[in-house]
Amino acid sequence: MKFLSLLLVFFSFAAAAQEPPLIRFGRGFAAEEQVWLMSVRPDLTPNQGKKYQLKQILFQANPERFQAFLAGALDAGTAPGLAVIFARAQGVDMTIVASICLEAAGREYFTTAYMVKDDGPIRSTRDLKGGTIGVVGIKTATDLWARVGLLNAGLVPDRDTKVFPMGFPAMGDAVRSGKISAGTFVEPFYSAEMAKGGLRTIFTAQNSVGYDHELLNIWFGEKFLKAQPEAVRAFLADYVAVTRYYLANTAQAKSDLHKAGFVRTPLPFYLKTSDWKRTASGRVDVESLKKLSVLMLEKLQWLEKPVNVDSMVDQSYLPR
Amino acid sequence: MRFALIGVVALAWEATARSGLWSPLLFPSLERVFNELILFFSRSESLLQAWVSLYRAFAGFALAAVAGVSAGILMGRSRFLASLLDPLFSGTYAVPKLALFPIFIFIFGIGSLSKVALVFLECLYPIVIITYHGARDVNRVLLWSAQNLGAGRGAILRRIVIPAAAPHIFAGFRVALPVAMIVVVITEMISSADGLGYAAMYALSSLKTDRMLAVVVVISLVGLLLDWMLVNLRDRLVYWEKLDTYYV
Repeated sequence: MKFLSLLLVFFSFAAAAQEPPLIRFGRGFAAEEQVWLMSVRPDLTPNQGKKYQLKQILFQANPERFQAFLAGALDAGTAPGLAVIFARAQGVDMTIVASICLEAAGREYFTTAYMVKDDGPIRSTRDLKGGTIGVVGIKTATDLWARVGLLNAGLVPDRDTKVFPMGFPAMGDAVRSGKISAGTFVEPFYSAEMAKGGLRTIFTAQNSVGYDHELLNIWFGEKFLKAQPEAVRAFLADYVAVTRYYLANTAQAKSDLHKAGFVRTPLPFYLKTSDWKRTASGRVDVESLKKLSVLMLEKLQWLEKPVNVDSMVDQSYLPR
Repeated sequence: MRFALIGVVALAWEATARSGLWSPLLFPSLERVFNELILFFSRSESLLQAWVSLYRAFAGFALAAVAGVSAGILMGRSRFLASLLDPLFSGTYAVPKLALFPIFIFIFGIGSLSKVALVFLECLYPIVIITYHGARDVNRVLLWSAQNLGAGRGAILRRIVIPAAAPHIFAGFRVALPVAMIVVVITEMISSADGLGYAAMYALSSLKTDRMLAVVVVISLVGLLLDWMLVNLRDRLVYWEKLDTYYV
């Protein structure tokens, strides 16, 4: 009996040793199509289940995601590059390893829009003096673009124009009813509001900052990077493969995501929405992150001292 | 002995913070929280945030106190009004009014009014229900005596019912006042550009847990101060029935 028990324990350990490492991955709810597709279409990820296992966990906002990471409940996740820079500056040991999408100029790409009532008195950003602007959360990317947009127009955020946190779904009605002067619109809400009519863009994320820049990135905890480098390489190889598939077969990929419940927007509408810029290689535009860090330091005082962005990005895990 | 439990919690926190098992971003030491607390009290804009929250909480509470005491007394003295309003208040007491906040934002705007309105609604229920029971349970002998002595309805209300229900009225206030602070802070955390709730969210979004905890300490201190003031006011007004609390 004792021998049998020992044998059972041995085989359980052996089985556990053969299990590929699990990546507990904190995801968001917008603009991360390639990442979601990795769970929806495992047939596109040959390494999944062999060299790593993936468990995606949904988070509504960055602070909760970072807190879960600090509490040891996550190994990796998605986040705006500027949020990772900010977290690293506070001492969170995470590293950006790949790009998901960018805020970019060009008719073929979507960039986050700040919109006002078409028939209202606000004709330019300067007219927002004494008004309010809705952002999705404090110290988020939407907050950064709004504040920079106001500063560009010679307005002081919080003093001249109040910046209010508000959910994306409520922005359209809030602007139309005059509860806020301007709101932040991302897809699919942007297309839905444009279809209704009556709203007008006064500035975008891209033209607020003035250059194309990283919107969302994939980050890993440094401990996991050191402990499981092969799993990270395998994960990123699959990620790049899925990104290429997504770019080449966007309609099919979107249909699959919709069918799996990752997107709730009606499918015909979702298929028509424009998309952020995504690079097939997954490589990070480090220069844009450097410029953002300077912006956060000098213009917004979100950082207390200059940061070394190069040390926060490691692209060596991406396939060559 | 009075603060022994607080001391134990503080010691447990400090031990956790110093153990090195958790990131200081999750468990900052009490020293760091205390430093942030000093910073809070030295900045005029922080004090302004506290004032904004206090003003919103007190405005909603005061409106609820006036409306709630009036409704509770009337329900306690009128069978018709009680049969009309009691099912409404009892039936909807358990509904979390906070769920109505998005609607309040659309009706009253994103400024102070929507928050004051929600505080009013949350505070109204305990004040009405406890006052109603106080007004209904007035000693009948006192009422009959007053009637025999020729007192009118107004005099009976002023001289008998309200003083007799006063301990209940203050009990309702004491339940409602912390509710006012809780609702204000939560609504400011959801959608606001000022107030203590906003300050806590701002600190949290900045990954400054020590600063966020300092704001939490300020919120507790404000709550404690308000309760202390209320108990003192009660003991002055209801001098014949002092509260046997830790303040007396």
